[in-house]
Amino acid sequence: MSDDRSLWNPYTPLSPGLRRGLGIGSVLLVLGIWAVAAALALVGPNKLPAPWKVAEAFVYLAWDAENQRSLLLTATMWSVGRILSAFVLTLLIGIPIGVIMGASPRINAVLSPLIDPFRSAPVVALLPIMVMWFGIGESMKVVFLFIGAVVYLIPMVRDAMQAVPQSHWIAARDLGATPWESVRLAVLPMAMPRIADGVIVATSVMWTYITVAEYVNAREGLGQLIQNARRFSAMDQVFAGIIVIIALALITYQLMQMIKRKLFPWETQQ
Amino acid sequence: MSISVEIKDIVQEYPKPDGKGVTRVCDKISLAFDEPGINMLLGPSGCGKSTILRMMGGVRPIGVPTPTSGTVLIDGKPCDGAHDDAAMVFQRYSNRPDLTVRENVAFPFRMKLWKKKVPKAESEKRITDILAAVGLADKHDLLPAQLSGGQNQRVALARALVLRPRILLMDEPFSALDAQIRQEMQALLVKLYEMQPCLIVFVTHDVTEALTLGDRVITLSTQPARVADDFRITEPRPRSAIWARSTEAVKMEERILNILHAANPGRGELTVTV
Repeated sequence: MSDDRSLWNPYTPLSPGLRRGLGIGSVLLVLGIWAVAAALALVGPNKLPAPWKVAEAFVYLAWDAENQRSLLLTATMWSVGRILSAFVLTLLIGIPIGVIMGASPRINAVLSPLIDPFRSAPVVALLPIMVMWFGIGESMKVVFLFIGAVVYLIPMVRDAMQAVPQSHWIAARDLGATPWESVRLAVLPMAMPRIADGVIVATSVMWTYITVAEYVNAREGLGQLIQNARRFSAMDQVFAGIIVIIALALITYQLMQMIKRKLFPWETQQ
Repeated sequence: MSISVEIKDIVQEYPKPDGKGVTRVCDKISLAFDEPGINMLLGPSGCGKSTILRMMGGVRPIGVPTPTSGTVLIDGKPCDGAHDDAAMVFQRYSNRPDLTVRENVAFPFRMKLWKKKVPKAESEKRITDILAAVGLADKHDLLPAQLSGGQNQRVALARALVLRPRILLMDEPFSALDAQIRQEMQALLVKLYEMQPCLIVFVTHDVTEALTLGDRVITLSTQPARVADDFRITEPRPRSAIWARSTEAVKMEERILNILHAANPGRGELTVTV
């Protein structure tokens, strides 16, 4: 067998068709096992609803004809709105802090002990504190998402800056730039693609925290929708809600990857 | 144009990696340059040539005091930091990948220093002129990734020369290029020098390159670097292939190789390209 076709060759080019086929295949397989398990009643329906029940729940959530409303659309709008607010806040605060930390070892030494530990701290455990400080309204939810995401973003932005080879900074200095100009004109532009990666990760983190944020006194939102369904033991709706969040997170991820490629077409050609 | 660069008794030492003692890279090097011309600094890789060049450029990025002792004088004034008389071109051109050729050449004019020194109309004219001179006028809106290595080095050269520096410091700028492209770049440098004479200090480990370009060839020994030889070449440029094979040129080549062998038998690599 040629090396090209060996399973254990990490460098084998995979045709897009094959990659997609394998991916869809594995999802279908899991769906199949799930369907069989549900059909044979191997697991109680209150623990694992059948896929078609989840589909029904999805349709109902998407359009409730009786009450002429879409619970899903309303919930999604609320969740997306909260994530968007937290996203703007995270970018406006996280990127400048990460940039100055990456640009100055001294500033980094001061700030990193205050920020880096939170990467491994359970931000969820901070929720009670946030409730104390910011109440149970919208600001608490946005601040919670912001804290959860910004502690990931700042170190990634810092690392992106530090990963730029010194030669770029020196070259700008040689041409007459001040040290800060060398950072702004030579290092920062080179770090942008990796900073964008950080923004993408931070956004994914927000999608995982949104349900937690919305567990506390939310009247609207996907997290609340799931929480509410659980209260009424509507497991099919819980599953539908989770799947919608996963789908939205994936769409956001793909969209941001696309924007990143558009913004930095030169990244892969370096 | 008058210019004078003098380095006096330069000693450079670096701490050894194990922290015990120091390695002396440059040992009491003194050199004076007092007129425009192409000066070749020739020596084996890692002999401290780049260190000397850096000192003249004023930018000292390494976390070690540079130089350990000795002085660099520019127009008689001690130089102990970045200054705007010198521009540098490296082997690894550091063009911004997100900017077009023209924007890269215009890059220094984004800095406060040059914005203040050169009015907008003047800088625009300089950029257009230098792009034509390096032969990239028709490629002005391409990105660096769309250019070859030689073309990228042309961008770097244009970006330095657009500042009309009195001193141009070149650190093995063409050594990563193919032989044929390297010759093209050498010819281009000669042409640009005639258009805009300045004091060029050109570091190379290629004897042929030194003889092709230099008004003066300074040969350094290695570890620690000392000035082993220093002579002038009066043959006008561009120097033909016929001259390169002449007795005069061959003698110079032998002289350099002999000196290097005597100074460091069996050490360092020096190349001769045909």
